[in-house]
Amino acid sequence: MTSPSQTAAGKPDTPGLASKGLKKEKKGKGGELVGRSPGQLMWARFKRDRSGMICAIIVLAFFVIAALAPVIASLYGKNPYTLYGSDNPNLLDEFSYPAAPNGGISGDFWFGIEPGLGRDLFTNLLYGMRTSLGISLAVTILVVITGTIIGITAGYLGGKTDYWVGRLIDFLLAFPSQLTFVAFMPAVIAVFVAPGDETPTYIRVIALILVQWALGWMGLARLLRGQVMSLRERDFVEAARITGASPWRIITKELLPNVVTPILVQSTYMLPLFVTAEAGLSFMGVGIVDPTPDWGRLFKTAGQIYENDPTFLLFPGAAMVIFVLCFNLLGDSVRDAFDPKSGR
Amino acid sequence: MNTLSTRRTRAVIVALAAGSLALTGCSGGSRSGKDDAQTDKDAASQSKVVPLGTAAQSNGPAAAVAGAQNGGTITVYQRDSYNHLDPAQMYVSDVGDLAKLIFRGLTTYTQDDKGNKTLVGDLATDAGKMSDGGKTWTYTLKDGIKFEDGTPITSKDIRHSIERMYAPFITEGPTYIQQWLSGDGTTYRKALPDGPYKGDHLPKSVLDTPDDKTVVFHFKVPQTQLPYALAMAGYSAVPDSAKDTKDSYDVAPVTSGPYKIASFKSGKSMALVKNPSWDPKTDPARHQYVDGYNISFNHQFSDSTKRLMADKGEDQTAISFTNAVEPTLTKQVLSDPSASKRLVQGYQPYVWQLNMNMDRIKDKRIRDAITYAMPSQQVVRIEGGSYGGEVAGGLLSPTVAGYEKGYDPYGKLKKPNGDPEKAKQLLKEAGKVGMKLVYAYANTEIRQKESVAIADGLTKAGFDVQKKEVDSSSWYQQMGKVDNGFDVYLTGWGQDWPDASTVIPPSYDGRIIADGASNYSHVRDPKISQEIDRIRQIPDVQKQTAEWQKLHHYIVEQVNPAAPVFFVKSLQLYGSKIGGIRYNTDTNYLDVNTLFVKK
Repeated sequence: MTSPSQTAAGKPDTPGLASKGLKKEKKGKGGELVGRSPGQLMWARFKRDRSGMICAIIVLAFFVIAALAPVIASLYGKNPYTLYGSDNPNLLDEFSYPAAPNGGISGDFWFGIEPGLGRDLFTNLLYGMRTSLGISLAVTILVVITGTIIGITAGYLGGKTDYWVGRLIDFLLAFPSQLTFVAFMPAVIAVFVAPGDETPTYIRVIALILVQWALGWMGLARLLRGQVMSLRERDFVEAARITGASPWRIITKELLPNVVTPILVQSTYMLPLFVTAEAGLSFMGVGIVDPTPDWGRLFKTAGQIYENDPTFLLFPGAAMVIFVLCFNLLGDSVRDAFDPKSGR
Repeated sequence: MNTLSTRRTRAVIVALAAGSLALTGCSGGSRSGKDDAQTDKDAASQSKVVPLGTAAQSNGPAAAVAGAQNGGTITVYQRDSYNHLDPAQMYVSDVGDLAKLIFRGLTTYTQDDKGNKTLVGDLATDAGKMSDGGKTWTYTLKDGIKFEDGTPITSKDIRHSIERMYAPFITEGPTYIQQWLSGDGTTYRKALPDGPYKGDHLPKSVLDTPDDKTVVFHFKVPQTQLPYALAMAGYSAVPDSAKDTKDSYDVAPVTSGPYKIASFKSGKSMALVKNPSWDPKTDPARHQYVDGYNISFNHQFSDSTKRLMADKGEDQTAISFTNAVEPTLTKQVLSDPSASKRLVQGYQPYVWQLNMNMDRIKDKRIRDAITYAMPSQQVVRIEGGSYGGEVAGGLLSPTVAGYEKGYDPYGKLKKPNGDPEKAKQLLKEAGKVGMKLVYAYANTEIRQKESVAIADGLTKAGFDVQKKEVDSSSWYQQMGKVDNGFDVYLTGWGQDWPDASTVIPPSYDGRIIADGASNYSHVRDPKISQEIDRIRQIPDVQKQTAEWQKLHHYIVEQVNPAAPVFFVKSLQLYGSKIGGIRYNTDTNYLDVNTLFVKK
């Protein structure tokens, strides 16, 4: 199966009900005739892509490690909140930098300790990844669902609906999301938090998710709208409409399977973007605040002390680079697997 | 006292803004094993009562600096441009060094090699003659004192300098003397609503100039601190002539010190050149070794530190009046063989304390518990370690007369990381275990980090800490509100001159409580107010200091309105061809009086 946008240039046959068309396409290969679904085909192609597989494993590992952060921390015997430097003054020197070389890396503190407060960097990174990945995953899921629904609806219905959805997207795209968040946060706190109370972390998390979601779905929606607009004029959709299929059926059974590729590829690009955006907000001091561990804030700390303690930047930085790189390569591989003709 | 307090607050805010920037982040160091940071032993000279000098000590010229050479120009890297050049508007410590170079007042400080200060006459022949139990002070002017245009400075000019501070356009400067002469708060302004500009003067029964050389101050109640107050930059001489251009004087003042302003481009640069009208024979404190100063602004601490560390070209003859060593670079500076020899350090007058809102925390046992629980060492660490600050045991800074080394009623020096067990026990006695404690902090990087350490310490002691971040630019306004809604919050205070009378009354007198007042803990203790009034009447400064000490003990031990946290220190770097460097215990930066350029 090919992405419909690729089919414009004189491809005679209509993919139609996908499995059938693909079965034909693959006939004759390998001697025996085996029926394979597009999913199986994609998987077969994906498995052959070595870099894709490696990246998938690494990305998966990141999520597993982040999800298991408390378990790993308890096995490791430290937590991200204890100020080890104050309990044991020998860990930090008179300038409150780690006394031991290389940022205080030792058998007790695998990645070293944080200057100033003396917290454990390893567990901070684990929990920080958990915070960042958790928020980003939630945002990605919400954005994909919203973007898909709105994009397909606008593309399929067209006319006035399309026009107004288009203007709404224009309007929202004009918002700078980070600045909006900076302005939005005090309002949220004023509404939900009693003046004498600390702002609970979950309020911050929900606010982060809401803002990134509200200002993140437009790209995907606009992309899908275009795809669907070209698809809905095609014969197989016409046929379905003539045979009396309901719009719901047409959208879910005819259109949606044909836009799975862009959705998947887009979401694999979006997730690392949201991770960095979330880190960026925390870097600016408006996202997650101390003492809740956060990936972005580790960079902020590292940026201030890199001249004296470069080791502190190493682990969070390397982890972030590897994660974003792998996720993007994974996105490429997924696209290639779904759509082998593109980009070749 | 209200205006005084808001002004004082503003001064403190600016100074602290500078300070907090200086202290952002932490510094690192080689594990040299020995700590060269200042200790309160070094500040011993600062915590003595500054004696009043004799007429002989007030004579110029100032004692020659060993090895001093004439000539050369010093480059000065400053972060902030000067907002005010009118001396009457000068209150912030940032302008102190500039004021020393270009202005003179009735009195000033001299300093010996050990840092011991003496208060001597500057324009006046001595530090002042007190009579009538302190109600009358007489100053006689020296001969040969002139403004930069060559006109002699007379008693009319001194009277004018004081009277113009009543004018409405003077909003920032100190108000001590005006209040002593004409009434507390802002009521003094009614005595001379337009200043001296419409021909009105203060009555002779208040401020008298019997002849060209004599100025007499008459107070309603004895004022023993007048000579110290007169040494403030704000009370420098301004000519009683058309050259006093009122508002415009703020950009083009008439100078009287060894240097005059050749050019000033606000926000960019300033050039100082020798003032030929200045006669060294009249000046007990200043020198004119250097030909001039080229001051340039907008140099962040990291920038000035890196330039001075590199020590190339004109940086060899460079200093900064007020820029400290960037804390994150302290480690490099100290491990650099050249830069580590070019450091000048000393105590700043600020004491940081965790105020406890006594309107909300009425039980002293809870306040004691908070004091015991406070992890002061952690906070000092975040402030840059032993070069940035030092754990405080009491509420008087080592720079104030009456400071006692080792005074430590809450064991903060013995257990600098707090004593959660003791705190927990006190809290249990008060029956408030798990009590909600609203802790406000300014939303800057360094205060956020401190909030983690402080909240951790208080939680260990059994409090339910609710952290609230507050916009840092309006921090002192919000904390100054009587109904601020917070339980505990960190503030800093510094003296105006090294006497407890500029520390205890503004911070702990219950009568000044109002929005914007500097009694941040809302102490309403009648005994403190009575004692303040009583001590102010004592004519002998030495005895006064002993009484302030007793009152300080009473406040810390019996009332405990604020947990002492740390004293601030300053660390400055200078170029390799600069000579005569020392720490000035009056301006609390390097001493500009003794600088010269080595050939």
